[in-house]
Amino acid sequence: MNKFWTRVLLIAAAALFLLFFSNDFGLINIQQTTIVTAIGIDRSQEEGKIDVSAQIAVPNESKASSVLVQGAETVGEAIAEFNGKTGWYPTLVHCRLVLLGAEAVSENVFASLDYFLRSEFVEDSCLVAVCETTAAETLQANSPVGDLPSSAITKVLSSQAQKTGQVSVCNLRDFAKGYFSDSASGYLPVISVKKEASKEGGNQSSGNSQGADSASGGSQSADGSGASAQSSNDSDVFDASKTALFFQGKRVAELTAEETLAFNLADTKTDFAYGDIEVFENGSKVTYNLKMKIGKKSMKLKFEDGVPVFTFRIRAKAQISDADKASGIVEVAKTALVPAHVLRAAEEMFRAQLQSAFEKTRESGCDLFRLRQKLYRFCYPQYASHRETLLQDARIFYDIRFDTLR
Amino acid sequence: MHCSRGGRPRLIAAGVFLFSADILQTIFAAPTNGAAFPILAHERQFFAQTCNVEKINNSQKETKPRSSGFSDRLARNVQKVKELLPAEDILVYSFCAKDGTECAAVYADGITDKELLGQLTAKPLSLAPAPKSAEEAEKLLLFPESRQAEDMQEAVSEILSGNPALFIDGIAAAIVLGTKKVALRAVTEPQTAITVKGPREGFIEDVKTNMGLVRRRLKTPDLRFESIVVGRRSKTVVCIAYLHGIADEKVIEEIRCRIRAIDIDGVPDSSYIGQFLAKKPYSLFKQVGTTEKPDILCAKMLEGRVGILCDGSPIALTLPYMLSEDFQSSQDYFVSPYRASVSRALRWIAVAAALFLPAFYVAAQLFKLQLLPFGLLLTVSGGIRDLPLSPSLEMFLLLLILEILIEASVRMPKYVALALSVIGALVLGDTAVKAGLVSSSAIIIVALSGISAYTVPDLTGTLSVVRIAYLLVAGSIGTYGIILLTALILYYLVTSDSYGTPLLAPFSPLIRRDLRDSVFKADIYALSERPAVFRPRNKRRLKVENRT
Amino acid sequence: MDKIKLRQICFLFAGMMPLTKMIVYPAMLAYQAKNDLLLAAFGNFLLEGAVIALVMFLASRTDCTFFDLLQNTFGKIGAKIIYGLFAAFFLFSAILPVLEQKAFVLQVFYENVPSFLSFAPFFAVSFFASVKGFKSIGRAADLALPVTAISLAVILLLSLPQAEFSALLPVGGAGAKGIFSGSLYGLNWYTDCLYPLFFLGHFKYEKHGAAKVMLAYAAGTAVVLLFLTVFYGIFSDIALRQINTIAQISKYTTAYTTLGRIDLFFIFAAALPLVFYLCVPIQMCVHCIRKIAPACNPVFPAAAVNGAMLLAAIFLNYSFFEVQTLFTQKLWWVFALFCYAVPILSLLLKRGKGERHE
Repeated sequence: MNKFWTRVLLIAAAALFLLFFSNDFGLINIQQTTIVTAIGIDRSQEEGKIDVSAQIAVPNESKASSVLVQGAETVGEAIAEFNGKTGWYPTLVHCRLVLLGAEAVSENVFASLDYFLRSEFVEDSCLVAVCETTAAETLQANSPVGDLPSSAITKVLSSQAQKTGQVSVCNLRDFAKGYFSDSASGYLPVISVKKEASKEGGNQSSGNSQGADSASGGSQSADGSGASAQSSNDSDVFDASKTALFFQGKRVAELTAEETLAFNLADTKTDFAYGDIEVFENGSKVTYNLKMKIGKKSMKLKFEDGVPVFTFRIRAKAQISDADKASGIVEVAKTALVPAHVLRAAEEMFRAQLQSAFEKTRESGCDLFRLRQKLYRFCYPQYASHRETLLQDARIFYDIRFDTLR
Repeated sequence: MHCSRGGRPRLIAAGVFLFSADILQTIFAAPTNGAAFPILAHERQFFAQTCNVEKINNSQKETKPRSSGFSDRLARNVQKVKELLPAEDILVYSFCAKDGTECAAVYADGITDKELLGQLTAKPLSLAPAPKSAEEAEKLLLFPESRQAEDMQEAVSEILSGNPALFIDGIAAAIVLGTKKVALRAVTEPQTAITVKGPREGFIEDVKTNMGLVRRRLKTPDLRFESIVVGRRSKTVVCIAYLHGIADEKVIEEIRCRIRAIDIDGVPDSSYIGQFLAKKPYSLFKQVGTTEKPDILCAKMLEGRVGILCDGSPIALTLPYMLSEDFQSSQDYFVSPYRASVSRALRWIAVAAALFLPAFYVAAQLFKLQLLPFGLLLTVSGGIRDLPLSPSLEMFLLLLILEILIEASVRMPKYVALALSVIGALVLGDTAVKAGLVSSSAIIIVALSGISAYTVPDLTGTLSVVRIAYLLVAGSIGTYGIILLTALILYYLVTSDSYGTPLLAPFSPLIRRDLRDSVFKADIYALSERPAVFRPRNKRRLKVENRT
Repeated sequence: MDKIKLRQICFLFAGMMPLTKMIVYPAMLAYQAKNDLLLAAFGNFLLEGAVIALVMFLASRTDCTFFDLLQNTFGKIGAKIIYGLFAAFFLFSAILPVLEQKAFVLQVFYENVPSFLSFAPFFAVSFFASVKGFKSIGRAADLALPVTAISLAVILLLSLPQAEFSALLPVGGAGAKGIFSGSLYGLNWYTDCLYPLFFLGHFKYEKHGAAKVMLAYAAGTAVVLLFLTVFYGIFSDIALRQINTIAQISKYTTAYTTLGRIDLFFIFAAALPLVFYLCVPIQMCVHCIRKIAPACNPVFPAAAVNGAMLLAAIFLNYSFFEVQTLFTQKLWWVFALFCYAVPILSLLLKRGKGERHE
């Protein structure tokens, strides 16, 4: 190494040491950062404004803190306010959940959600859901197993839950894809909090430490913002079996739990589902709980004589999981075998639920089954002529076959 | 190649009385053993310090014999030697021949076998009349390793090497007697290269013994030793060992020239020679390979490398050097290729962990929290919440402590080392965490990094420095700094070479065939050819046709 | 110092070139050509591939360097002038990639308040590489190939489950105009064909050398097209906002796993070949200057070029979109001229003494 490179190295090392030890160039390190795990967006009492609540993971403790900013114009402003009010810099890279309050979805949610798409430091892989009440309340809920509420909701909305068809999970990317597509449609699961039995003396770490003044379970706010932690001993469970339908960013309809299951069987990544089927046997009503393994599913759009025909095709294997009747030992032994009338009843039930779901999409304008997208991709010559009227004009066929193990 | 300081007058004079090139070759190739008489070697050393054999032979013809400096009076000779060697340990053993002629052997105390001197010199001379000439004296002595010194200077240097000079009154000559005896330690397993399977012999501090250890493994006339004396005052024998027909002649010539060009007063260890052989002596990375084991040296020589043995050092140098060879262990060749491949992969992973773990840990905390999984982030974040130090300073401090502990444990007496490790690991670590000075996760990272670095012992020093560099860039520039430093190091490595062999071979430049013995190790039949990177003249090392 | 091997040129195309087209280019293509982005990209690849094939044909016919060829035809002064123009072009062509990579780095490698300071040391690396000549390009390519192969393989494997390939339908839906504008405005990302021209005479042409290089280029092309397919399959209608594409496509699979964003490590690994490749136009620029002033110590042109690039990056720090629009939509003809017209015209240069006689 000649003198030149030695000098270059020395200068570089000196600069590096200076930077390293000064460590003061606008750096915000882990010690100054709060880890936001969920964001809730509610409509504010002030017209045109929003309330934003952030759930913050507190290290070494199972409790969660929530920070609420009321009356913000935008999510960005609220996030900046968190910093100003608490002194901590909120990092959203681990934000896995965005909850929208029930009232917030009556307007175009992308007025708020686009913050997450614009920001370079927020991932659009986070899950999005609508709350039955307010997002702030939902984030205050107590998980029965001591999870952070956001973690508990994330588990309810996990890909495993999606696979069983109970929930229609949607992340921000997919929701944005639908919104920015030609159909401007999408769906989100609806989270409802249900109170469970009170846990006497349990969950010390999550509740009791917070003191009595926050026992209402709501969030405190002072001067438009504040912090609190969930505190009640009552444990809550979450239900996400319903699905909200969106058109042009606004909530326009809601699928029931049965319609959600039917939708999942037909469209999403559900490949294994449980469902109750009611049949009449010997004059009395019997409910069978079927375990269904989806073998094949497709939704096809084609034109027959100039008329768009949309076909749902589902092939599934079913087996009896349970029944609300006292069965003989032979029946129990052959539990995997589903009687033909039960299979037909299952087919009919899902057909009816799918039809019901489709009617809702027709009425609301939400292109839940992405017909316009299929029209563009697979029937491009007819795209221009049928684009606007497709949902109304399409003839729907339901080709659903359930079969039993043999 | 240019040799600027090849022929100083006294060296030329030393080479004058010597041999032709052919004889020299024969001598070099001849088998030797650990206790071999070093006189011939010394002559070769003096000889070899001039530029090359042919040149010397030519100069021999041209040089006139000069005065030897000996007197036919014993007292004057002894006095002259004492003038040249006034040190206390230079003793004179005086005795008389049967006819009363005075004789004296001048020797260096402690490195001469006095019993042998008495038995083979004093005894026969005292039983017979004094010889009239040096030749007659040699015949009388029947000493297998005796010869006449060319001049007083040579006699003196032989005395200093442990070979006494015999002076007989009336003879103007000195007879050098090969009774050198140096206290040597046993050939044991080196501490730095312990293997579970495989040979356990290690080099010792005697170059002759080391040459013998090599010769024992390579009984071929192609094994050549070339000795060169280096050090104006230490007169250290440096021996170049190679396999003729396999090692690249250009490399040998360059090594020869570089060693000859060394003009230093003393060479305490082979690492001195290593620094002279390195083309970029300031480089952070090793330029010269090292080994303490003869089996490894032989294996490397069989691949086409050149070995350099240095008197007084148990560490042999090997050239050309490649970075990947430090990831190889001799044991890799004694176990199944699968096991060897796994071990090597582990070493690469461990080195990556040693380098990158502290840096990424700091960068993650300062610049990119996403690098830590959510659960781990909460743990880390909980651990460092109330620490008084920033994550980068915390890690820097811990690495500093690690280096101090390593440095101290290397130098400390063995019986203190255990106490030190207890203090270091338990007291310091545990108390520091409890006192809230550092976090336990940082200690785990540093410990893991420290241990990982020792999977490749030859690179530990380099890794320590580079690890600190990575930490500095991670703490100041951030995650991208780690990538940039990696790019810079790689640019440096890919443009560096060791005697024509790229430092990063066989990865860059990619030599597909040589990859068989790099990150993974193929079976022995797949290694039928010597590594192409050394450009060996004889490429084949295994005849696959004989496979059964 | 300025020697490179044919294999290393192959690796340059197969292992480094694809990565440069995985940052902003896919989003630009999605904006211009929508679901026909593959057609637009394929058009560029065909054109560039043809130019590379012609240059390799030239390499099979002569041992001369490009400078020698120019010198044979236009004389020494003429050759130096043309090299001066190319030096300016390389500097110019490096601006957008530098800004592109800067934006990529500041977003993907940092979360909080990244500053230009975090990217600036790149120029120190580039300076060092520029001093080292073509040898460093080739040897870096040797290392880059496995890194690229492993990281891209992992990223693509993690992304594949998210991709819906029907998003690419209907073929031609974006119309000829969209496809054409996608190709035209993408020219800035297709300057690779110029490199073999400057490697002429610096590598030993081997038997079937052209075929090997074309095969490597085809492999690189296939990787880019596969990447674009997966990318559009994942994002479809919101693809145009996905700048820094390579860092976006795999996160959906890893975000909720126990290990977290493990894909980030592979994205970081892929940044290493990106650094190597970003140095190439700067190294080329320094090479051209050294040809013009051979007596000059390489340290000086390297320092000057990297200093200029650093200043340009600082000056244009907040103008990425303006620069992108200017370069892609207004100055596309500059790229067409230097990267396509000149290499094709170089076939007409006098080969002189260096002509290969086979």
